[in-house]
Amino acid sequence: MNDDKFVEVKNLKKVYDNGHEAIKDVSFSVKKGDLVCLLGPSGCGKTTILNMLAGLLNPTSGDILFDSKSVVNVAPKDRQIGYVFQNYALYPHMTVLQNVMFPLTVGKQKMPKDKAKEIAEKYMETTQITELADQKPGNLSGGQQQRVAIARALVQQPKILLMDEPLSNLDARLRLKIREEIRNLVKKVGITTLFVTHDQEEALSIGDKIILFNNGVIQQDDMGQNFYLEPNNYFVANFVGNPVIDNFKVNVKDGKITGSDFEINVDDLDKSRFKRDLTNGEYTLSVRPENILPAETGHVSAKIDDVELIGRERILKFTHDGVQARSLVDLETPIKRGDNVNLKMRLDRVFLFTKEGERVY
Amino acid sequence: MRSNQKKAWLFLAPTIIFVTFFSIYPILRAFVMSFQSGPLINLNWTGFSNYQYIFSDPEFWRAIRNTILYALISVPVALAISIMLAWFIFSKVKHKSFFETTFFMPYVTSTIAIGIVFRYIFNGEYGMLNFLLRALHLPAPNWIDDPSMSLTTIIIFGVWTSLAFNIVILMGALRNIDPNYYTIADMYGATGTERFWRITMPQLVPTIAFLLTMNIIAAFKIYTSVYALFNGQAGVGNSATTAVFYIYNKFQIVGTPGVAMAATVILFLIIMFVTFLQRKMMKKIGGR
Amino acid sequence: MKKIRWGTLVAYIVLAIFAIITVFPFVYMILGGLMSFRETTTIPPTLIPKHFEWSNYAKVFAQAPFARYFLNTFITASVTTIVSLFNALLGAFAMVNLKFKGKGVVQVVLLSLLMVPGEAIIFTNYNTIARIGLLNTYIGLVLPFLTSIFYMYYLQSYFGSISQTIYKAAMIDGASDWEYIWRILVPMSKGGLFTVALLSFISGWNSFLWPLLVTNEDSMRLLNNGLTSFASDAGSETQLQLAAATLTVLPILILYFIFRKRIIRGVVRNDLKG
Repeated sequence: MNDDKFVEVKNLKKVYDNGHEAIKDVSFSVKKGDLVCLLGPSGCGKTTILNMLAGLLNPTSGDILFDSKSVVNVAPKDRQIGYVFQNYALYPHMTVLQNVMFPLTVGKQKMPKDKAKEIAEKYMETTQITELADQKPGNLSGGQQQRVAIARALVQQPKILLMDEPLSNLDARLRLKIREEIRNLVKKVGITTLFVTHDQEEALSIGDKIILFNNGVIQQDDMGQNFYLEPNNYFVANFVGNPVIDNFKVNVKDGKITGSDFEINVDDLDKSRFKRDLTNGEYTLSVRPENILPAETGHVSAKIDDVELIGRERILKFTHDGVQARSLVDLETPIKRGDNVNLKMRLDRVFLFTKEGERVY
Repeated sequence: MRSNQKKAWLFLAPTIIFVTFFSIYPILRAFVMSFQSGPLINLNWTGFSNYQYIFSDPEFWRAIRNTILYALISVPVALAISIMLAWFIFSKVKHKSFFETTFFMPYVTSTIAIGIVFRYIFNGEYGMLNFLLRALHLPAPNWIDDPSMSLTTIIIFGVWTSLAFNIVILMGALRNIDPNYYTIADMYGATGTERFWRITMPQLVPTIAFLLTMNIIAAFKIYTSVYALFNGQAGVGNSATTAVFYIYNKFQIVGTPGVAMAATVILFLIIMFVTFLQRKMMKKIGGR
Repeated sequence: MKKIRWGTLVAYIVLAIFAIITVFPFVYMILGGLMSFRETTTIPPTLIPKHFEWSNYAKVFAQAPFARYFLNTFITASVTTIVSLFNALLGAFAMVNLKFKGKGVVQVVLLSLLMVPGEAIIFTNYNTIARIGLLNTYIGLVLPFLTSIFYMYYLQSYFGSISQTIYKAAMIDGASDWEYIWRILVPMSKGGLFTVALLSFISGWNSFLWPLLVTNEDSMRLLNNGLTSFASDAGSETQLQLAAATLTVLPILILYFIFRKRIIRGVVRNDLKG
């Protein structure tokens, strides 16, 4: 028993028959009872990992352990998992009750109908779909189908719940509501959950921990806020954050960081934030839009191309060195389109990345 | 998905076993037998002699000639009529499913039974067809008993039987044409004729190519309708003999299976060739 | 406005003429089967008999074992349909849902066999059946038709339209492949399976050349073969031939009228493969 590593993935690799390397040497672990989000752009391999955890796909190499026992050679049905599919995969010819009962009435551990019904009804109550029992999935709304799918996934009392983009078929408003419900439900049941999504906001709001993938490699495995404050690399900095981070091409030479129209002394940076020594060469200086703000004197001066209102804040859009950049300001800031402004960066909050995307500062 | 090697072969086993014994084996066997002579129980190798025999057999050439003539006439005629009828049903009338149901009837009925009925309709003396022709002061030939008419007779019957399938498939294709095309055409003031030739026909080309091939292949295999019309004969004096008739005759009646199989191989090659042409044609159309 | 109406009128007339041409043989068959012998051969021909001679049917059953033909045909068509559908179901399931080496090869071989005309293999199959000594038996009548590549292919496209995640969900729910087939796949594709069964039954009912080859005993004949031999034996008794033809066609025609929508849709669907 090792509750800190309830789910453990070791050096997992998946190469498809056509030679495509979907997963390249991935290792991570999940604490018992945690809700972990697997985040990444489409095609990054997150669903492939989920399918391998479920046993729907065989890994090319590596190991998967549930509760310290390898499950690589265990059939999906014997892995004690629940799975919620993106399109829910409800059986269209069965009623809601029959759908939820189905896992209990097939396979080796088949149970008598009345007992199955009793258990199914319990979970239907938990997911608040009791009154839908006799409906066919075709008559249900997206949110209702979602709940049926979750009830069906939980009815076998699995140890691990796997969810593959369960919210992507819902409209925006419902998505906010259901994702809260899912989190509450999962915490109430106390089940260890892996939740795949491409939506960073969803991941940040729901996950105890986030694992960000790209090109079949883990980019960062961390608590939500760290993706924002301490991104591992250029990809993470750009993937997480809305509005997206501003990137400026710079050249470092002999203690000076030179952009197209600004210069920063390396000595002005916070020494404790350096990951390694800064050598001469080309870098990308990245700064979150809320950390580059209008000031009397600044690093960058620019003409505002456009002002976009997002709720309580405004985004000032400007072009710098041929690339669009943003500054996030208060609603009250009186800057208009066409104004010329000076923008100042908070140097203790900027990042420096090498050309390969590795973080230096 | 996980690999399920053994299980998959288990599920496929019945299909594979039956296909091996009753599809693959007979093809190979037919091919082998076409190079052998003698009765079924005592075959021996004779090289190309069966092929030499059929190529010099006037009966074989008559069968091939009849089969090709039948295919070349009945298929385009039936297809043209089908296109007209399908277009009328689709665009002009209200009771679409009534007409569709009616025209499809021949597809499900036994060719033998309806062929017997046609035998009486075609009867030279008391048949309904000649009664009608005489009433219209048209020549009333002896459809069944005149050897020079037998090919015409099977062509008419062939057209009658093949309309059903064509119409239903064409109706399916017509329904698949995006109605917005017609809406736009109407906006630009296209006439009914223009709509048909500029929108409908080009959209139907793949379906027509498909039907053409299916019909030609079916035409090359014609047997049952001849059997029914001429009461088990291939017309008076074998005047309406066809490729399959020839094969059946050589195999079952004359008892020269080698010759029958040589003819089978030829028929098989012709049909393969037509299928091949269709593939090429479809590719060309698809690649536009 | 006037022009369009003319077009519609012409269309109705042409359709009516062809509809009559299509239906007339059926009408003539049914009415002719109820005529007296004289009425079938009078000049000018009659269409509606003065008295319905129901006794024609009694004569048909007395002169040839049509009841036996019916039974044989029903057994043959049913067995062929059930077994071939069962095999096609399992095969199509494996091809759609399972992953295995050689799947591509199997698919290519089956697709090329689909192009082989039945007439090219029917004679050598006869030879096989004869050598096993199965002439004039039910097994001989059905054996080569217990698998249908065509219907398997049809079901494959049908099952292929069911989302793959349904199968995955069933696997995680703990269902075996067998349970998946019978509790999910079959109920979900009832319509398609039923249509395939209908089409298969109809073509089994109408089969002619194969039973002609493998049966020569009267007691083993199928309807169509019985009908042709009856037609040559009954010789000039036209009205009896037409009555016998009616007997052969009517059951299928009734089936057709009940399920016409399904049958037509089924045919259209399976031939859009090109």
